[in-house]
Amino acid sequence: MFSLIQKWHKNFGIISALFVIFLAASGLMLNHSQQLKLNTNYIQTEWLLDLYQINPANEPISFQSDNTWASQVGERLYFNEVEVGKEIESIVGFLKINDIYVLAYDGQITLLTQAGEIVEHLTSAVGVPAGMSAIGVGDEANLIIKAAHGYYLVNLDDLQWNEFDHLEALWSQSSSIPEDLKANLLRLYRGKGLTIERVMLDFHSGRIVGEWGVYIVDFIAILFLILAGSGLWMWWERR
Amino acid sequence: MVRNISYLLILSILLFSFNAYAKGIYLKPAKFIAEVFDNDPPKAKKIWVKKELKAGIKSILGHDLAAIRIRYWDDGSKTAWILEEIGRDKLITVGFVVKEKKIAQVNVLIFRESRGWEIKYPFFTDQFKQATLVENNKLDRKIDGISGATLSVNALTRLAQLALYLDSQVNKKLN
Repeated sequence: MFSLIQKWHKNFGIISALFVIFLAASGLMLNHSQQLKLNTNYIQTEWLLDLYQINPANEPISFQSDNTWASQVGERLYFNEVEVGKEIESIVGFLKINDIYVLAYDGQITLLTQAGEIVEHLTSAVGVPAGMSAIGVGDEANLIIKAAHGYYLVNLDDLQWNEFDHLEALWSQSSSIPEDLKANLLRLYRGKGLTIERVMLDFHSGRIVGEWGVYIVDFIAILFLILAGSGLWMWWERR
Repeated sequence: MVRNISYLLILSILLFSFNAYAKGIYLKPAKFIAEVFDNDPPKAKKIWVKKELKAGIKSILGHDLAAIRIRYWDDGSKTAWILEEIGRDKLITVGFVVKEKKIAQVNVLIFRESRGWEIKYPFFTDQFKQATLVENNKLDRKIDGISGATLSVNALTRLAQLALYLDSQVNKKLN
């Protein structure tokens, strides 16, 4: 009986050794994920990005002002090719007023310089009206906003939001995006879509290969339990 | 057996509920400002992040601010600030009121992370009340952390330092 247990203990030990090393190493790395910057570094390997289907749910939506573009790709917002927003729902419009670019989305307005530097984010706290559905430029180069409760003539410097029943404006409208910009934006989107931490977690749990991977890791965990039990038993017998 | 399963079911529902309500908008920024100034907020003022200010901000946050202009509210007796900082992966939006160079009020307004939301509770935010800046823009007190919320605690502490620093800068300009 003892030699049989010893034989199986040895076999299970050999099978488990690689998994012990891998699970211990990946566990250690995950425990220090911040220090190792696993949560802020991104996977660039195409087959892994394809495996996780890292692609925007919808086609990019773009607005053009002069030769500058603002685009929503998935839940991210880009000023030309610079990411300026995350987790956004819907881009509303993009235009230029007095050398400042105005980018409207989700009840917020971001003001940017020509170089793509963010001047500031304006929210409802400073008066951005609720239900913003369009932005445009008025006769006197003022920002006009069409929102749920009416139209607003905006002074962006003093943050005055004057409400009107109706205002005429040259409304910002979406344009079809140039193919090369679209390709670059999709590449940028994919390149920041999957953290090393996410992949490491899925390797650690077995989910990287789907549902069966979890069962395989479960099986390995049971092997570890058997090894611990048989090891203790043999120690007890030899005492 | 049935009783045990019932307990487990109730526990699971409770845990799920806590998680579901953990992140989100706790107080809309506009409402925070309205409440701070008794529904009659002053017009928002602005401060430009220029060279000296930029360096000060970087020494506190460890990185540059995302924007070069910051709005704040000042009624002559206190200033209010809505500031944002990343906890672990996502921004935490916090409202601060500074009065006589001391923090008078802290409210976590929007929490987007999946962990660390406990920083919204008064048992934690009350530690900042009456805090002021000492040497090297540090707070004059030690803020007790919360297990499992270290990064959110650190982010909120940095923002408290930033609010006091910005308040000191706008008051310096006025004097």
